[in-house]
Amino acid sequence: MAHRPARDLLTGPVASITLALVVVITVGLFSVGPRFLSASNISIIGQFLAIPILVGTCAGFALLAGVVDLSIGSMVGVSAAIFGTLLINGWDVLPAAAATLVVCLAFGGLNAIAIVGFGADAIAATLGMLTALRGITYVVVEHWGVSGSLMAFHPGLFTFMNLSLWSLPLIFILVLLVAAVATLVVIKTRIGRHLKAAGGDERAASRAGISVPRVRTTALLISAFGAGLAGIIFVGQIGAVSRLTGFGLEFQVYAALMIGGYSILRGGVGNPAGGALGFLVIAGATNILDLNAINPYYVNIVIGLLLLAAVWLDRLRGGDSYE
Amino acid sequence: MNHLSLRALALSAPLALGIAIASTGSGMAQDTFKVGMAVGGMECCEWMKSQGDVARALAAQRGWDYYELSNKGDAPTALKNAGLFIQEDVDVVIQFNGQPSVNPALAQRFGSAGVPVITYDIAEEGMYFVGIDNLAAGLAGGEALGQIVKEKWNCEPDLVISAEGAGAGIVNTWRTGGMRDGLKRVCPDIPEEKWVSFESVGQATVGLPAARDLLAAHPNAKRMAVVGLNDGGVLAAINAAEQLGRADEIIGWGQDGAFITGPNVNPHLAGSVFYFLEGYAVYAFRDVIDHIASGNPPPVKHDAGDPASRVQPCPVSAEQAQNVPGLQERVAMLLEAPAGTTAYDLFCPNK
Repeated sequence: MAHRPARDLLTGPVASITLALVVVITVGLFSVGPRFLSASNISIIGQFLAIPILVGTCAGFALLAGVVDLSIGSMVGVSAAIFGTLLINGWDVLPAAAATLVVCLAFGGLNAIAIVGFGADAIAATLGMLTALRGITYVVVEHWGVSGSLMAFHPGLFTFMNLSLWSLPLIFILVLLVAAVATLVVIKTRIGRHLKAAGGDERAASRAGISVPRVRTTALLISAFGAGLAGIIFVGQIGAVSRLTGFGLEFQVYAALMIGGYSILRGGVGNPAGGALGFLVIAGATNILDLNAINPYYVNIVIGLLLLAAVWLDRLRGGDSYE
Repeated sequence: MNHLSLRALALSAPLALGIAIASTGSGMAQDTFKVGMAVGGMECCEWMKSQGDVARALAAQRGWDYYELSNKGDAPTALKNAGLFIQEDVDVVIQFNGQPSVNPALAQRFGSAGVPVITYDIAEEGMYFVGIDNLAAGLAGGEALGQIVKEKWNCEPDLVISAEGAGAGIVNTWRTGGMRDGLKRVCPDIPEEKWVSFESVGQATVGLPAARDLLAAHPNAKRMAVVGLNDGGVLAAINAAEQLGRADEIIGWGQDGAFITGPNVNPHLAGSVFYFLEGYAVYAFRDVIDHIASGNPPPVKHDAGDPASRVQPCPVSAEQAQNVPGLQERVAMLLEAPAGTTAYDLFCPNK
């Protein structure tokens, strides 16, 4: 495809979401005023977005490799449940976190065995994992918790989650750094090219000497790792786990990723910067409604319209042919 | 594309790091008393929206500002909303939070900001409790259902199904467990193996698959009694029985009264316990917020057993409920009633 900067600016997969964010900021400044971009307001948004952006950044690797991982939401739940259980049983934070991540990687490995090893459909396999993990979360919280909640408040972790740097939540800055590094990996390294090749055209990638199974396995493990880490952050922020932790998070994450330029059905499309911007656009739009005290029931309409706009832009840029 | 991506990152970084950190002003300065309301926001339940509507109207009657957000039944969203309430300088917050696991974090955040919080139905230390006596409501509903089970089946049902709503935490324990205990008071000899449970999430549609599975696992059960967290959960079991053609002998008794009024009440829902959830704000304003606004905040009573304001439960049969107006009509009548009049005063047929 010829390089046409003006067209790319309007229809490129990341540039378009950047423009959307500029529009959201402009609308926010006009309708809310300067406090829309105040440190206080960005901190509120940032604390809330830390988990979804982390999960989305890592799940995006699986999407790029051509496999959708529906188990991410329940992986956050099971991670939080395991981590919380270990904390209340006297484990220190770091060993508990390490053990939790190992368990989550094992679940990610099971996803990989089913999808890559046995050729199972990714949606079916990870839907099965979603269901199983939800059950495990339920059982763990039921056993170790009281009345459906597992109280696992850890003062040190809570303090860490609320640390600020340059008036912004440290955890938000760290997650943005992860997204930035992931973006560089995807667009600048051979690993990223292999990911996109494996997701974009499996046969062509194989003929080019790329091990598609290895790429997809790695991507699924990264997806599980991100969700596992998010579960640990969840316990740090909330100090408790319920049996419904992570319930429906996968929809929130994939909606933002699609708005940010990823495709659920086509691999090789999108990059982590676009995904992170997708989260910021949704959070910014929601925040405008919140600060204007507009009926909160309208929020879903806005998200739905943004998704439709994303689909329209996807068509505008030519879908498969663009990539 | 690579250049575009890097450009996008470059554009997003200043945003994330605060293009306007210099403009650190938080909420606008304001003199008018401001009430914040965090509605439950779950799509199942019209009464959650009505709770906000009544609070908004009562604030407007007093000439106060009102700021409403939705918790969406989600713990992180509830925590985010707490930050927004504090930023927007509300003087008091009312919340209905269906995810009680986040309540300690909310109490910590509001407490450090000095914002008093009224919590509906789910108690938390440091927050004013306004709500029903959940255990009493559960026991009352269970006893009412027990009388029917005794009359119809001589206390010998094939199954007693509990429609749990685990996310509600201790409230589920009190209500659903209380209904079981109430039923046992009337029918103490129902064997242990007859008592079964499923997770209804408190919603008729969401709980339907689990209810179907439970019924499929007990193919020979005919006489079935259903208790649960709320009307929605109980209806999940009744609807499942209807779908499987096994609704001839299923009887449910709900909690909260959400689905016991109007023209389309399920005939197998024998009754419910009205809380008149839409009208809780009358109690909150009358017993707590008006005092805070006048500079005389009452002592914080967080215990459901000794609440800041107690909502009376109102057990009703389906027949009695036919004379109770529907939700929207109740809201309209409540707002036209003299100040301090509760929905219980206006609508409960068993006062």
